[in-house]
Amino acid sequence: MLTEAFLGQLRTLALSSPRRHRGTTTGERRSVKRGRSVEFADYRNYTPGDDPRRVDWNVYARLERPVIKLYEDEEDLSVHLLLDQSASMFWKPEDATRAEKFERAADLIGALGYVALASGDKVTVHTSTGQQFGPKRGIVTFAELIAFVERVKQSAPNNRLSLNGWLKAYAQRARPGLCILASDLLDEAGAAEGLAALGAARLDVSVLHTLCPEELDPQLSGDLRLKDVETSAVQDLSMDDIVLSQYRQRLADWSAEIASLCRKRGGRYYLTDTSQPVEQILVRDLRKEGWLF
Amino acid sequence: MNLLNPLALAFALLAVPIILLYLLRLQRREQSISSTLLWRQVTLDREANTLWQKLRKNLLLFMQLLTLLFLVFALLRPYINVPSTISGRVAVLIDASASMRATDIAPSRFEQARERTRELIDQLGATDQMILILVDGAPRALSSLTSDKAQLREALAQSQPSLSPANWSAAIALAAATNAGAADANTVVISDGANADDLKLIQGRARFVPVGSSGDNVAIANLTLRRSLRGLSAFMRINNLGAAEERILVSLKADGSLVDARTFTVPAGESTEFTINGLNPNSGALEAHIDQAVNNRLEADDTAYAVNKTNATRKALLLTNGNRFLEQALSTLPGLRVTRAVSVPVDAPAYDLYVLDRLSMTLPARANVLLIGASPVFSTSGAFSDTQFVRTEAHPVTEQVDWRGVNVQLAQRLNPPAWLRPLVESQGGPLLYAGENNSDDKRQRMVLIPFELRRSDLPLQIAFPILVANSVDWLAPAQGVNAPASVRPGDVVPLPENAIVIRPDGAQVTVDRRGFNQTLQPGVYRFQTDQQSGALNGAFAVNFLNPSESAIRPAGELAIGTQDGSNAAAAPGMSQREFWNWLAALALLLLIAEWWVYQRGVPTLRRR
Repeated sequence: MLTEAFLGQLRTLALSSPRRHRGTTTGERRSVKRGRSVEFADYRNYTPGDDPRRVDWNVYARLERPVIKLYEDEEDLSVHLLLDQSASMFWKPEDATRAEKFERAADLIGALGYVALASGDKVTVHTSTGQQFGPKRGIVTFAELIAFVERVKQSAPNNRLSLNGWLKAYAQRARPGLCILASDLLDEAGAAEGLAALGAARLDVSVLHTLCPEELDPQLSGDLRLKDVETSAVQDLSMDDIVLSQYRQRLADWSAEIASLCRKRGGRYYLTDTSQPVEQILVRDLRKEGWLF
Repeated sequence: MNLLNPLALAFALLAVPIILLYLLRLQRREQSISSTLLWRQVTLDREANTLWQKLRKNLLLFMQLLTLLFLVFALLRPYINVPSTISGRVAVLIDASASMRATDIAPSRFEQARERTRELIDQLGATDQMILILVDGAPRALSSLTSDKAQLREALAQSQPSLSPANWSAAIALAAATNAGAADANTVVISDGANADDLKLIQGRARFVPVGSSGDNVAIANLTLRRSLRGLSAFMRINNLGAAEERILVSLKADGSLVDARTFTVPAGESTEFTINGLNPNSGALEAHIDQAVNNRLEADDTAYAVNKTNATRKALLLTNGNRFLEQALSTLPGLRVTRAVSVPVDAPAYDLYVLDRLSMTLPARANVLLIGASPVFSTSGAFSDTQFVRTEAHPVTEQVDWRGVNVQLAQRLNPPAWLRPLVESQGGPLLYAGENNSDDKRQRMVLIPFELRRSDLPLQIAFPILVANSVDWLAPAQGVNAPASVRPGDVVPLPENAIVIRPDGAQVTVDRRGFNQTLQPGVYRFQTDQQSGALNGAFAVNFLNPSESAIRPAGELAIGTQDGSNAAAAPGMSQREFWNWLAALALLLLIAEWWVYQRGVPTLRRR
């Protein structure tokens, strides 16, 4: 999945965070704290106890009072990559052999993790079945991340997952930072509460909405009994053009609803078609959306 | 509107299983999906549309029931009464005589007759019946009396025009037999009306459908060969049956190679005759053909064939001082050329047969002789007059000869050699001898009548020409077979059994007991009777040559039957016109529409 050329391309990218976050160690990201980097931030009056080396002597000569020069402090960023592992993510069309939807979502999470690791961020990958990678930093842990993603791909899904419950539980122990949720969001209760909890934990939540083509534009016909793989709920429907067009309309409304929810909290939303190659989603689409720079 | 098959209404009960199946139909296929979340919202949305959805379902049911309705309606075979030119029991006489081959209307008169017949078949009502009778030399029914249009069309498609004149009286008898006893019988005659005077014999309701427009035709009316002092001569007559003067190019071929070609100008309605002399006497067959003429509408009479049969003739030398009975009997025999003399000519060629009537003469060795009267050849022992008939030996010479009524005044008593056997015995002695002498190098046949003809009433009996013919045939057997030189297409040629005939198209046919009857194709037919030798030992020609059929001028209107055509048209009958096929077509269309609605939904009511 991740070729050398693609990795090289990813290495030049970095995750952009809509806000600054407080880090734990010095990193490559601008911190909310003033620090010791070379980038000028502000002046403040000298108070006793300040390091005399940080007094701006040029200003002192002009104003005849000591002024402390403040610099941007550069820190690392906590990146939380959440992967929905509910049964609906593992759903595949009847004629398909592999659950491409979930594999593509896992690959996306892996690639995003690589981008974060490459730019020196602290990466945590967490799945809804409770599997976790990290938090770890440094490109050297990349191989470990790949192995983790592959392991997740092989693992079994949650049978009944409450999306809100999982997100709330994670929000309680997450350090503030950037959070990317890869999920189809197909939960009866929706994801609004969970997303709110993540926001309250000072996480910048970006939702990577992964849906497969069969969900985006279903090609169904005849009189069907639709069965939910997750809840086993059934739905009798006679497919025709009207029903299908209504479904597409409903899907568009639903997607727009989640998008506005995310943006209201300062997050980002992107609906992705999992039949697209990972390279295209990352390098072209997400970059255009401003997720990567 | 009436129904022909009301019992088919029972098929309407099929609606019950359709509705039942419809009610039981809602077996849904299970389809696994990732989540019903969005679909459920769709269904919520659809609640408002349930009525329409039910309607659409019912639309399918409605269309299915409507299809069934149309099908049942078609099975009921409804009909309406429409005025028709034909109705009831119709006998259609289609002229297939040679004149129907004329091409004055494209492609031919016969094709147009078939077209007219097809139109009649189309007009045929449900309860009407039709029989097609093809009228040529031997009229026959193409189909049985039926109302099955497909059968009639198929029978019509197989009809072909002939080369013989139409035998109208036989065809009318056939039609009358078919229509016997039917009150609504009528007859339609489709003909060019040429040579159709017999049509006036038609009784009952009848209608004449004329075909043909022009009578312009040029024909060879005659082609005969004559052997004369100047060799072989061909005599021809060309008829111009058209309405204008014609320049006609005629070519003559002998055994396939062109020997003569001439152009004549023949005035309208006239004919020209001419003789072509100096042809090779050894030519086997001649073919005359009209190569060029402006208005020539019939092709069949443009070619004539003649077979040169003179080389197959037997030659006989009649030595007599005069015997009219004998001369007459000999002259009527076919294939026999009789030369009369009082003595054997000095340098005469050998004759096949010598007839000695009361003369004594030295004949060539091996001569076949018919001896009549006083015989110097064998010794006699007086005469007898007790000539009452006793019995007849079975012999080719006495075949069919009835001697019982023959009275002989005085006959000679002979002392014949052993090979000459008596054939007719009387009380006094034999009255007829015949035998074959195979001794030493002689091979000779002889028939001997030991009395003078004038001293008996034999020449006045029927037995006499038969006896002469038998004797001649036995003494000098015909080299070839006595086939006529020219016959008409369809005639039977009396050839012996097992003879092999090579037709003009090259096919070989073995003749059966009934003679050779495959003479439909004009041309020269060769045959061989002796299968061992393999030599073609005869030929005959089949010629169209039929001046009456060459006169192809059509009769525009012909009053036939007891009711003429105009009256029949004024009082048209009613025909039952069925329309189940339209109903069946509608049912098919509905079925297609139903399938389409099922597959695609209803486009006009589709939402955005």
